[in-house]
Amino acid sequence: MTAAMLAPEIGPAQRESLLGRTNPLVKLGIALVWLLGLGLTIDVRPPLILTLVALVAGIQLGSLSPAVLARRLALLSLAALSIALTNLLFSTHNPDPLATELFRAGPLRVTLEAVEAAAGIGARVVSIISVGAVFALTTDATRLVDSLVQLARVSPRFAYGLLAAYQAVPRLANDLGTLRGARRLRGLREWHPRLLVGLLVRAIRHADQLAIAMDARGFGSGPRTTYRPVRWTLLDAVAAAAAFVILVAALVLAG
Amino acid sequence: MTTTEQEQRPASPSPTPAAPSAWRTRDILIAATIGVVFGVVFAVWNQIYAAFGFLQPPVLQDWVYGMWLVPAVLAPLIIRKPGAALFAEMAAASISALLGSQWGPDTLLSGFMQGAAAELVFAIVRYRRWSIGVLVVAALAAAVGAWAHDWFIYYAGASIELQVVRLVIMGVSAICFAALGSVALARSLRRAGVLEGFAD
Amino acid sequence: MGAAFTYAGSPRPAFQDLDLEVEPGTLLLVVGPSGSGKSTLARAVAGLLPSQFAGEWQGSLRVGDIEVALEPPTDDAPPPTTSQLGAGIVLQDPASQLVMERVGDDVAFGLENLAWPMVTMRQRVPVVLAEVGLRGFEGRRSARLSGGEQQRVAISGVLAPTPGVLVLDEPTANLDPAGAAAVMGILGGIRSNRAATIVLVEHRAALAWPIADLVLALDDDGRPIDLGPPADVLARSGERLARAGIWLPEPAPEPASPRQPGAAPGVLPILELEGVRFGFDPARPVLRAVGLRVEQGERVSLTGPNGSGKTTLLRLALGLLRPVAGAVRLGGRNPWRMPPMQLSRLAGYSVQDPELGFLAETVRDEVELGLEPEQVRFAHELCERLRLPLEAFADRSPYQLSGGEQRRLSLVTGLARRPLLLALDEPTFGQDRRGHEALVEALDELVGQGSAVLAATHDERFVRDATDRRIELAESWVAADEAVRP
Repeated sequence: MTAAMLAPEIGPAQRESLLGRTNPLVKLGIALVWLLGLGLTIDVRPPLILTLVALVAGIQLGSLSPAVLARRLALLSLAALSIALTNLLFSTHNPDPLATELFRAGPLRVTLEAVEAAAGIGARVVSIISVGAVFALTTDATRLVDSLVQLARVSPRFAYGLLAAYQAVPRLANDLGTLRGARRLRGLREWHPRLLVGLLVRAIRHADQLAIAMDARGFGSGPRTTYRPVRWTLLDAVAAAAAFVILVAALVLAG
Repeated sequence: MTTTEQEQRPASPSPTPAAPSAWRTRDILIAATIGVVFGVVFAVWNQIYAAFGFLQPPVLQDWVYGMWLVPAVLAPLIIRKPGAALFAEMAAASISALLGSQWGPDTLLSGFMQGAAAELVFAIVRYRRWSIGVLVVAALAAAVGAWAHDWFIYYAGASIELQVVRLVIMGVSAICFAALGSVALARSLRRAGVLEGFAD
Repeated sequence: MGAAFTYAGSPRPAFQDLDLEVEPGTLLLVVGPSGSGKSTLARAVAGLLPSQFAGEWQGSLRVGDIEVALEPPTDDAPPPTTSQLGAGIVLQDPASQLVMERVGDDVAFGLENLAWPMVTMRQRVPVVLAEVGLRGFEGRRSARLSGGEQQRVAISGVLAPTPGVLVLDEPTANLDPAGAAAVMGILGGIRSNRAATIVLVEHRAALAWPIADLVLALDDDGRPIDLGPPADVLARSGERLARAGIWLPEPAPEPASPRQPGAAPGVLPILELEGVRFGFDPARPVLRAVGLRVEQGERVSLTGPNGSGKTTLLRLALGLLRPVAGAVRLGGRNPWRMPPMQLSRLAGYSVQDPELGFLAETVRDEVELGLEPEQVRFAHELCERLRLPLEAFADRSPYQLSGGEQRRLSLVTGLARRPLLLALDEPTFGQDRRGHEALVEALDELVGQGSAVLAATHDERFVRDATDRRIELAESWVAADEAVRP
């Protein structure tokens, strides 16, 4: 695992794309509303429609390379399969004598209704994964935090505190690699719960220094101005409206 | 402590007698950092969880669920201020979403449920009791929050028996990882001297 | 009686008997051995005591017109903040001062906190970046810059609100010589404009002494040895300073102990690299086509600027990274995926950042981790020689040691198995003169018994005192491989 894998950098093409310029809060709102909307149905079609919309939008409006997106989804889709399988094997429909039996193996009875429900939930997970990947690959962390503070009135101390701590991610990945190497050179196996202590000690030490540096630069000392003003734009309204219409259409289609 | 090179470390913290519930920059940065470290750990854990889904009967993968609940117990155990459980768990969830977790923005939803449930327990004891019992209850509360969320989002079609089995497994995992794990981690960190100025 | 400060829980003051006055626009250089209270003094001037570090003051310290030596502050009388003092502080590790992802945002961070209008900030940021030689860097990612550039970003962030007092606590400690020279050049420029009073804590004597107006030298107990213009201090107290373990701006006198000659080279190859290429990004390899051979009894230093691939080369040699192309042989075998037990007998590793090599709760456990009884005896002896006697240190946490002590503990763990290859990353970093000499002596002894040293270092003294051969890396190539001239 390399630092580059862990902290996706948003390139200029993605940042300047339509999706990149859409306010991160709008994208987050869309993702959460879609998620809750999908909670209303276990039909397989709505999540597949939303997945398709998210991927096409990511490629066409977000300048994402299909290959990058595909690689990410392939790895993550394991989770969708495993959750669908659980829903299939332990479905409420399987013991139901009125349900259409597909096959029976020992104590296990699998019904058509269970397959449908499991497929619906598997598709739901796939849509969550796709929306999440498009969000992560087109959203700049600084802009997200600026928007949280300026538009959503989140406390700047907590928001910028978290953003400052977030800068340590590549360093954490490197620290983990070095700690593992040090274990090997002392004749020990690489993975051990103790690694977490080493990682946390370093990270907290770093946080202490950062807190001192931030305090010394007047952080939290009074009213604050902003170097990067963020405002709602027409694009945000259009994106929100379009996303809502798409969700409603997808749900209506399923009946 | 009798070090001869005192000025190099450790960063002994502020004695400023501020209101005990007020967050200093140091508190914010440490809670956020616990969130960030676990956000990175989650990125690894997500893969382990997915892999476990195939290596053994499903549901049993939830033995590792407790790892996702650690920030909601560890951060308040160290910082001991209102909001620490929710802030650290949400921080870990956002970082993990930004890093591209398979759960995407849903991480925020489940992070909120887990953090808020643990926060509620600490609020009930008015952020004054930090016994192992309280930590166990907070860890269990976080597990219940996660479980309710998962039922709705991921296991909507599954039987009530499965939900109960998951609850039990997640509860045990929460006690092991989030409650006992946090106590062990906090003790090691205290020994390492990075928690000076925080309550023992 | 002069000013003194004692940390909470410490039996003695970090510094004491200080009595001095610094005119505005002066550059005051503070020097002293490890543990002499230099950093504490820097923190005091920046108003961080005791608001950030608990402790007790004696005497008085004024920054401008403001008294900072206040007894435990109360809610009614909160301590003055750094920005209220008109001060700014730059710390040792550049990475732990960078708040924002992009350079321009980071420089503006302090201005936002002081509620500067947006238009004024937009004007100020490019100006102050140009002052530190980073014109046009606004949109760059701090994490992608070199350590020297990062430290210049940190300095520009502190300079942006035009502080009257600029405090720097070992700002070049993590930098290569070129980065350090650039930082010192910037300080020299500020000093010649008399734009701010500068308090500089700095080990690199050759760079810092020439730009200082005043030098304050502290001893082990944090008492002043001397104070005055650099030339006067050098003439009056040069010998006392050297005895106290303070580096002087002159070539060091020969080490006290005569060097033992190493075993005759050419006996056995310990490490061989052939055509080794490495890099995650094929377009920008960290190393390309590196070949080298280190034999028994050789002492090799690995030099080159930050980012030239020194640490990467060590990690390849130890099998912690796998080359994209080419072959690595350690003791005749490929070290990648070698079982840890076997690897630990062949090589010892002292990592660049000692804390990342610590695996145990106490110094004793750290030293003895995984050792056999015979090795334990030698490890204890090493502790003694590197000034970490177990009577005093056994039960302390490795993380609680000072930077210099941590470095020496890391060296003990790297040398304790008497491995064939001693792979050391910046072994003298943060060491005062005594630590340096003890290390050179221990390495000489191990080399005499058939080990080889491969040490990545920026420290020219170490290259000269402890190695016979230098491999210079530049832009991912081996730029030179030559004998070290005595």
